[in-house]
Amino acid sequence: MKKLLFVILGIFLILPMATSAFAGGPPPKDIMKGVFLSVDDTARTTIFKKTGSEETAQLILGKNINPSDVRLNKKVMVSLDKHAGENVIKSIDIMFLDMTVKRIISLLVIGLIGGLLSGFIGSGGAFVLTPAMMSLGVPGAIAVASNMCHKFPKAMVGAYKRYKYGQADIKLGLVMAVTAIIGVQIGIKIQKYILNHFGNAGSNLYVSFIFMIVLVFVGGYVLYDAYKLSKGSDESKVSKLALRMQKINIPPMMYFKVAKLRISFWVTVPVGIFTGMLAATIAVGGFIGVPGMIYVLGASAVVASATELIIAFIMGAWGSVQWGLSGLIDIRLTLLILAGSLIGVQLGALGTTYVKDYTIKLVMASTMLIVAVSRGAKIPGYLADLNLRPALEPQLAHTLSQVSYWALVTALGSAAVIITVAMVKGMMQAKSESQTEHIVSHG
Amino acid sequence: MDSEVTKFDKNMSAVTFAEAGEFETAAEFLQEERTEEEAVNPIAKKKPYAGMVIFGAVSLAGYIALMTHQGWVSNEYTMGGWHAAYPVVTALAFSFIHGAFASNLLSVLSIEAKK
Repeated sequence: MKKLLFVILGIFLILPMATSAFAGGPPPKDIMKGVFLSVDDTARTTIFKKTGSEETAQLILGKNINPSDVRLNKKVMVSLDKHAGENVIKSIDIMFLDMTVKRIISLLVIGLIGGLLSGFIGSGGAFVLTPAMMSLGVPGAIAVASNMCHKFPKAMVGAYKRYKYGQADIKLGLVMAVTAIIGVQIGIKIQKYILNHFGNAGSNLYVSFIFMIVLVFVGGYVLYDAYKLSKGSDESKVSKLALRMQKINIPPMMYFKVAKLRISFWVTVPVGIFTGMLAATIAVGGFIGVPGMIYVLGASAVVASATELIIAFIMGAWGSVQWGLSGLIDIRLTLLILAGSLIGVQLGALGTTYVKDYTIKLVMASTMLIVAVSRGAKIPGYLADLNLRPALEPQLAHTLSQVSYWALVTALGSAAVIITVAMVKGMMQAKSESQTEHIVSHG
Repeated sequence: MDSEVTKFDKNMSAVTFAEAGEFETAAEFLQEERTEEEAVNPIAKKKPYAGMVIFGAVSLAGYIALMTHQGWVSNEYTMGGWHAAYPVVTALAFSFIHGAFASNLLSVLSIEAKK
């Protein structure tokens, strides 16, 4: 049976890679990648060379762009303003930031904590890492792409560890991943559409907005559930919704051994699709996937978070190929985050063997809600970028960016503290229990 | 010599309890001895120092190579199309090497999962 599952896994990994490699898709219309060769300050024009072609084009600086914004011989993403005329630049984003020591250290640290979260709650690298990278000045699309590419090897390591602890349900992971891949496809289409039509500001706004909605609603519910558990018994009960879903008897019915549940395949479909859509959009499927498996299917938080790592691995691999085809992955960012997160993910995974379901839910909810504040504070700025509201006053813009930054630091910090405290407590308890046994047996 | 006496004492205690009909206590004395022997077993306690150092060195060399060839890497890896394989394969390779290093590191630091 296990062999069969691995064969299915293999097919699903290889198939999309083979087909999508041929389906490069049309190049984006209003966005171009390339380098500026020269800039004329007085005429406000530049000479631009597109990536992969030898031809050059003359571009006109839009009214918001200063000649000093144009960095020569650096790979940039340029979005054009079609309303202002032919070849008018709307925005310039440097694709590859210079790696300063501060940036490298930041990436290592957020990688470590992101990995810790990921190993512990099944997702969590990306919802912290995407905004964190954007705070460091990485354009939205590159942040999502680089994250996606770091996510799947990390999830693979985490899933392997948690499978060894007997927490991951491979069958459930595979079934969910199949539908999630369809969801990813839908999500990528939406994201590309927005990037092509509204440029980077539109993409940033969309990512932040989706973040806000999902984080507030799902995070709020998980927190409510964790609060109920903390007041009542330690053992979490299967939700009423999940019990009702388990009664639906439409074939094929599936039995999941590790998750200990029997449910119709069709119930897993919407959960999988939404997981995939969210994953492709903001690189975090787990915020639908994990609560979905807990509250809709009826798995425990430990099994759901472990199984999510399997889904994340499969979808991440698939998504990375897609983003790689568009040439948006900054491998330096990916590998620097991996340096920390591969340690973190293993630490988080073994941490789950010491805690109860309630702790996992608490960490998940608190982090989601604090990150929501961080993204929410960015929205007015993005609205102004899209001319949907008047430009922000400098004082307000400064305050909002400070709120956004510190909320992120708080989210990371608080999650790391809760996990570490719970883990150390658990380890000390396990140690004292084994010592007590020792003393008792000695007589 | 001390341990021999203790072992002898333990065995005698076990016999005493067994004769008195308290088989469980007797079994506990004997079982305790077995777990102690397991604890001193060098194979069970050996830490993967060599693995940590080797994988750590390979990983570090990879990172140095990446950082010293940033320009080339950034350009080649973002061509799109078939070049998509570059970042994906690189990320996978790093995760095996660096992941093995991380796993060994945690074992060396005695951070292990609950049994």
